[in-house]
Amino acid sequence: MAVRLRLICFITLSVAVPAFAQTGSPAGLAIPATTSAINSPTPLSQRVVAYDMDARYDAKAHALDASETLTYHNLTGQALDTFPFHLYLNGFQPTATWIREGKREGTRGQNFDTWDPKSYGAEEIKSFEVVGQGDFTSQLQYIHADDDNKDDRTVVQVHLPKPIPPDGYVQFKIKFHDQFPEVLERTGWNRDFVLGGQWFPKVGVWWHGAWNCHQFHAYTEFFADFGVYDVKLTVPQNEVVGGGGVEVSSVNNPDGTKTVTYHGEDIHDFAWTASPHYLVYNDTFQGSMGPVKLRILMQPAHWGQVERQARALKEIMDRFDRWYGAYPYKTLTLVDPDPGSQAFGMEYPTFITVGTFWWEPEGLHAGSVETIEHEFGHQYWYGMVATNEFEDAWMDEGINQYTQIKVMNSIFGPSTSVFNLWGVTAGQIDEDRLIYIGVADLDPIAKNGWQYADNNSYGAITYGKTALMLLTLESVIGEDTMRQAMRVYFARFRFTHPTKEDFLKTIEEVSGKDLRWYFNEAVYGTQVLDYEVLKISSVPVDWYKENVKEKKGQTEYVCNVWIHRKGEFVMPIDVETKFDNGDKVREHWDGQDRWVRYEYRKKAKIESVEVDPDHRIQFDRNNFNNSRTEEANDAAARKLANYWTCIGQFFAQLLAWWLV
Amino acid sequence: MSENTNLVSAGAEIAGRNKRYVVWFYLLNLVFAHFGASAFSDAAHNILDHSLNADKLLHGFNAGVFTELLTRPEFGALPAASHPAMMFAVVFLLASLLFMPGVLLGYASDHGLPRDEFYRVCGRNVWRFVRLFLFFTIIAGAIGGILFGALNALVTAADKTSNERLPFFTQLIGTGIIFLVLTVIRIWFDLAQTDVVLRDQPAVRKSVAAGFRKTRRNLARLLGSYVVIAIVALALLVGGILLWDTIVPPSSVLGAFIIGQATLLLLLAARFWQRATAVAFYTKEMAEPVVEETRPIPAFAAPIVP
Repeated sequence: MAVRLRLICFITLSVAVPAFAQTGSPAGLAIPATTSAINSPTPLSQRVVAYDMDARYDAKAHALDASETLTYHNLTGQALDTFPFHLYLNGFQPTATWIREGKREGTRGQNFDTWDPKSYGAEEIKSFEVVGQGDFTSQLQYIHADDDNKDDRTVVQVHLPKPIPPDGYVQFKIKFHDQFPEVLERTGWNRDFVLGGQWFPKVGVWWHGAWNCHQFHAYTEFFADFGVYDVKLTVPQNEVVGGGGVEVSSVNNPDGTKTVTYHGEDIHDFAWTASPHYLVYNDTFQGSMGPVKLRILMQPAHWGQVERQARALKEIMDRFDRWYGAYPYKTLTLVDPDPGSQAFGMEYPTFITVGTFWWEPEGLHAGSVETIEHEFGHQYWYGMVATNEFEDAWMDEGINQYTQIKVMNSIFGPSTSVFNLWGVTAGQIDEDRLIYIGVADLDPIAKNGWQYADNNSYGAITYGKTALMLLTLESVIGEDTMRQAMRVYFARFRFTHPTKEDFLKTIEEVSGKDLRWYFNEAVYGTQVLDYEVLKISSVPVDWYKENVKEKKGQTEYVCNVWIHRKGEFVMPIDVETKFDNGDKVREHWDGQDRWVRYEYRKKAKIESVEVDPDHRIQFDRNNFNNSRTEEANDAAARKLANYWTCIGQFFAQLLAWWLV
Repeated sequence: MSENTNLVSAGAEIAGRNKRYVVWFYLLNLVFAHFGASAFSDAAHNILDHSLNADKLLHGFNAGVFTELLTRPEFGALPAASHPAMMFAVVFLLASLLFMPGVLLGYASDHGLPRDEFYRVCGRNVWRFVRLFLFFTIIAGAIGGILFGALNALVTAADKTSNERLPFFTQLIGTGIIFLVLTVIRIWFDLAQTDVVLRDQPAVRKSVAAGFRKTRRNLARLLGSYVVIAIVALALLVGGILLWDTIVPPSSVLGAFIIGQATLLLLLAARFWQRATAVAFYTKEMAEPVVEETRPIPAFAAPIVP
């Protein structure tokens, strides 16, 4: 909390300057209003930035030299004299915050048991000019408001003597040198492959009256303004190149290199990749706003999967188009990164990385197809609805995880949407439940991404709990209403930077319900939901009489059911009691007390009791105690014990086979 | 090839004539594994028997629900459930060590070995088999360790190329080669064990040396026989799993038990088949003294007097 306050103070003070009469805004600048990269006659976003970059990649040194011209349109409504920039490749240094957090919490790439010099990355500004104001290279200051790590150089700021007035423009001319790391996560090289992500100085976002430009953290990295990107990449001629936006041209140069030019609109980042091994597969998706050219860059060993991936991608795009809204861009590039690299499963505007392995079976939906779904989903929840991933990671990853479950379940079925192999199955909800229940009470959903207890909690809460929370919300407002709310949210907030309350209020508005009770617990709280059937009993009414024999259908019983709210999360639930004559009784309990008892007088005994009989609550920590049967049915336990016995026998035989 | 076939069929004939040993060992294997699974079974019964959620494990096998079951605090830590299984696997190993001399003598006999004779030879050879076990562990451990280390280095090197299949196939082929090398060592010690029992050899080093010489001189024949039987065992295992997957309904506990146990029985039989093949080879090729004997060689069918 203290760190957050420091950050707010810093960014507020840094801009608290009067609007000078004398300004630093040069004349004749504008952000292009072109629409050649989108299926729309008019721009879709309020374009704040225009990046024009010319980069030359040295494949041997895994380094890049580039010039960047950034035109910024001051739409903040006030004069700006300070501009922060991300320099995220500096995160790949042993004293940087990214590595510190990775060392402390672990990352998906490695645990940093030792420091490998190949992991080093750097983004060095060679010159920094503000057009009309001069050279500021020597005046750049590294700032580190999130954690006060003075060794972190992932955010730099410049202070301008002449403020940029409201609605004015400023142009920065930056020359920089990148050293890519061997891919730890997200960006860098692996053998002769490179993924260029977070590779250029990118200005922060003026958001809610202050600059928002966080350091590079182990889990979170995205928040930027929409605009236009024109990027020239010069690479060796043998490289196959892919990038965000539309490829405008590819020209061979006399020095054995080629220059590939990309143009992107209404996007907030630009990533690219190059490898001499890619095979290219082209396809088209007919979206509701127009055709989308699909370009799949595939590793040769995976070429046999390319049609399957293309088919899956189009099926997924179709569902998003129908359920949430149109994908408006003219292109989407899907990258199959170098095997073994940690560049898989990344999202950038109109550009996603997937990853597979050569023997991936079709029944493993959690492999490349799930990754395609997830990363394409980010085109909506991150790409277009550009939430602040640092402060609201759940709105990016979690909402995306929720739509992933909906899409994957609709394609592959709820119980087999993770895998269906040799009679063993798993569904997306099971997967998210598993990651959630292990750390259910560590952190709330609404929390800064870098302040979670650890890597597990970040993943379990932002991805898992958010998805389960939204699925459970369907039980409160209805699945159709929830889909409608998502559609309205997308339509209303695409190409903007909504807050968590924007999202939650949209759901309340569409559903017409006050859902604060739910959001307070599920989004802002750490309460754990756990209901159990505490006990059941069926006692003959005339139990006290001697020599009375119970007769099915004739003996009257007093039947009692006790339901216990074990967790602190209070949620109304249904309770269904089944009797041995086939009768069913359903009760609705508000869950306010710690327990409730239901009593019935029937000529039947209780057969079973179940909390949440429709299985709509997805984040109950223990599903096994949600029901209780009068008679024990030990078949499942015997089945598992049999499996265990067989495994034990096999293991014992194997041991004896080799050793005796 | 015909020599191999003769050896394999001779082994099959011996093993088939002495099916009771396989059955007894199988029963031991089953009983020990049952005890080993008791902690797991108790925990599963405790959570599942009265829960409707158990249906997801009975009518299918939902890996998510199964994993959730394992993570329940009331289930206990998974190691606590798996330790008994490992412990009883070791008990089965020791039982195999103890009773194998009787099996080998039974295989060499042309009629059923009397029970008291079976136990006598088992008792007589306990310490010898323990020493052979230690010899084997040291030699196989050292050679296996070196080979696995080399393979690991090869796979790491292969992993640096962009050919994704190279490390996989390096691992596969390397493991296959190591399997063959370890099989050769196993043959060597199977012959040594047979020699110890049938020659009533107290100096196990002499049997180890004899086993080594014979293995080296008849490597192709012996290895071919063992590999053929191992392939049959692998086919049985794969066939059993396929049968389990295709014809056994998910909720049929009995069906799964029958198929599973039949597969495990046949797997065990395959190992006894290899043992019988070693005895067949021994009676053909090693019956002549290979070391200077100080005592008369006992007749295979005759009772061994301690």
